Amino acid sequence: MIASATALQESALGIDDWAEAARIAAACGSFHPDEEDEQVADEPCSCYNCRYRRWTAAAISCCRR
Amino acid sequence: MQILISIDDTDNLESPGTGALASRIAVDLEDNGWGTSSFITRHQLLVHPDIPYTSHNSAMCFQARIEPQSLEQVISHAAEFLTRESAPGSDPGLCVAVIDRLPESGEIIQYGRTAKESVLTKESAYELARRLGVHLSEHGGTGLGVIGALAGAGLRLGGNDGRLKGQLAFAEPGGAVSVAALRDREDIDEVRALDGSSVENRDMVRLGDKVKTVLLDGRAILLVVPAVGQSDGVRWQTCSRQQLKEY
Repeated sequence: MIASATALQESALGIDDWAEAARIAAACGSFHPDEEDEQVADEPCSCYNCRYRRWTAAAISCCRR
Repeated sequence: MQILISIDDTDNLESPGTGALASRIAVDLEDNGWGTSSFITRHQLLVHPDIPYTSHNSAMCFQARIEPQSLEQVISHAAEFLTRESAPGSDPGLCVAVIDRLPESGEIIQYGRTAKESVLTKESAYELARRLGVHLSEHGGTGLGVIGALAGAGLRLGGNDGRLKGQLAFAEPGGAVSVAALRDREDIDEVRALDGSSVENRDMVRLGDKVKTVLLDGRAILLVVPAVGQSDGVRWQTCSRQQLKEY
């Protein structure tokens, strides 16, 4: 299991790993919610809803590393 | 006259997002007495290694009704606003299109669709804007935001792309509301099932935590899916964020 944003950066979380994105964000001290219009995960605390994630076609990366 | 105002690439990781700036332009337009603004839509563009973007590459657009003599003031204000308020390191672009002056060829709509699938150049954006008589301007950085700004206007005009900015407010979040009551709201033009099933006025809809509409057929559409988990006569529930991700 990935436990930090650093791990996220290294693992390149896919674009539909909802449970894993929530687990990583819950353990991440850098999580900051993006504006509501840019949030796509149902879990409020999720890498997919974080201001510091960056989308690519097949993954997200963490800009806080 | 009816105009579209579209902006893109105005933010960085720490600044207010492009949607927040679009909201302020829309409010300013009304506060200055130039006209009335409609809802703002968010349009997802292509994410690709050759395209610089902050985190998601989306454009924001709204339609406004103004008096023709206010057009230049609106454009000047939006341009100065973007120059002043866009974040350091951003590449902001502004597009203002007068809908009635656009040719019927649909080129701007096609441009928007193409921007969701292909890497486009700033030069091609300016060339098309010139040909269509559309205002297109850059306000800092590389100015590459003109591509997304023009695309955002096209996608909004096409009427079948994007989510509306903001959430719908309800007196009883999490409760159930009839389809008829939802259709009576000013911020919902229609209630539709995600799978195209028929939705009747008497049907009840359970409200999720975040209720948003999408742009379909040029209207604000509330999408619903069959209700799960309870058997209290509620037939539908609003879509989750994940279910709306592709819009």
